[in-house]
Amino acid sequence: MKRHSVVVRLTHWFGALALILLVMSGFAIFNAAPYLDASDYSNPAHRVLAMGSIDGPNGSHIGVVDVFGHRIRTTHLLGYTDDGQGGEATRGFPGWITWPAYQDLAGARVWHFFFGWIMVLAGTIYLVFGSFRKELALLIVRPSDFPKMWPMQAYYLRLRKDPPPHGKYNPLQKAGYTVVIFVLAPFVVVTGLALSPGVDAFAGPLTTLLGGRQFARTWHFAATIALVIFTLGHVFLVASTGVINNMRSMTLGTYRLGKNEGTGE
Amino acid sequence: MNRKLFVASAAALLAGCDSTKNALNENQGVKDVLHLAQAWNHAAIGTHGMAKLYAESDIDRNYPTNGDPTPTDPEYQGLVKERFRSYKLAVSGLVERPQTFDLARLRTLASLTQITRHDCVEGWSVVGKWTGIPLHAFLSLVRPKPEARYVVFYSFDRDENLQQFYGSIDVRQAAHPQTMLALDLNGAPVDPDHGGPVRLRIPTQLAYKSTKWVQRIELVDSFKRIYGGHGGYWEDQGYEWYAGI
Repeated sequence: MKRHSVVVRLTHWFGALALILLVMSGFAIFNAAPYLDASDYSNPAHRVLAMGSIDGPNGSHIGVVDVFGHRIRTTHLLGYTDDGQGGEATRGFPGWITWPAYQDLAGARVWHFFFGWIMVLAGTIYLVFGSFRKELALLIVRPSDFPKMWPMQAYYLRLRKDPPPHGKYNPLQKAGYTVVIFVLAPFVVVTGLALSPGVDAFAGPLTTLLGGRQFARTWHFAATIALVIFTLGHVFLVASTGVINNMRSMTLGTYRLGKNEGTGE
Repeated sequence: MNRKLFVASAAALLAGCDSTKNALNENQGVKDVLHLAQAWNHAAIGTHGMAKLYAESDIDRNYPTNGDPTPTDPEYQGLVKERFRSYKLAVSGLVERPQTFDLARLRTLASLTQITRHDCVEGWSVVGKWTGIPLHAFLSLVRPKPEARYVVFYSFDRDENLQQFYGSIDVRQAAHPQTMLALDLNGAPVDPDHGGPVRLRIPTQLAYKSTKWVQRIELVDSFKRIYGGHGGYWEDQGYEWYAGI
């Protein structure tokens, strides 16, 4: 049967590409000031996260991450990591995960803003089209989904043979997608804007509501990490619940229904 | 070309190949496309509203400096030695009354004190108290011609290749009531490390737009012919001309 319309499939893959580039260029931008404050203007007394290096024995370097006052040694992983050009240096995120690999704030910003627009555009088209076609209604979580959440979780944990009867999306999918599409994704956009001086000038209360400029930067980072965790879970579930069937539904559009799966709400 | 780029992009995404990512970052065709977003940012955010004003208690006395410390330029060093007594700020270009201002005259024009946040492109910020001349009031003395579209600020500072620092803003940003030629920081003349004797302060954009050590000002209809043609030293290095985000 047909599962995803061509607009959903296209916006999904443009969004996926944009998300990868936004996260990677975002890590590169973070590296220019690899610390986060829970304050309006920079204030080391309100530092919640900092990455850097300390001197080790015999002129070596030890990468460290200070998170809520706790120091973790992270050499080669964070703080003192690959510099994207074959060496190692004091920098927050390693070159293999930043975009570009070497440290170039100007370049990273240009990628970040371009794909920020691609993401917002893809998200807007998806939402408008999904509302118009009433497809979006199928994945919004409803009170009637709550009693089915534990049975669904039990099925995922192999404590139950079959999933509870459900529509196009199961109750846990609905909960996850609802939070990501209507809470997390808009929050990332808003926090990214709120940390910008030009936006703060005409939307000051928004920046203030988030705790100030540096706090908005911290929220932007935290929400990104949450989105990354969601995406890793999403990819894991795609791979572990019938990867060919799932990938076909998001590329060619067709899908074979499983037991107790429906097409409605 | 497009197929090559597509293959390169796919390879970069799949393998996380550093050299491919770096090559894409330096590809002029890619850059031209990515830079389209600057115009969208400018159109969406623009120059609206007022930067937040802070209290005396928010001021950080250890105001960080970024980029170069005091310029080593001989002319500037000479001015530092004689405490800027012979400093003259020249205004030229598309103005009806080109003229020069010495520091004493500039000080008589200083009418604005504001405690604002300085947002660095790197991601940090600091609050300082700035006193100076609202740029719109200053420009009214030289009477910009109607065809003037940009105000260009040339700095005493040069990089290691002796390229002069400079920056530009449009007349809309120049007319913003908080855009100022700053003479004092935290109650004392702006010191040589922070851009004295005269620096630009634009609290509604990132601080790389706030040119330090202003030597002269020129009003132009286009910055395409000035140095790298992108409207500023940092812009010529790849940063966006519009820095409201």
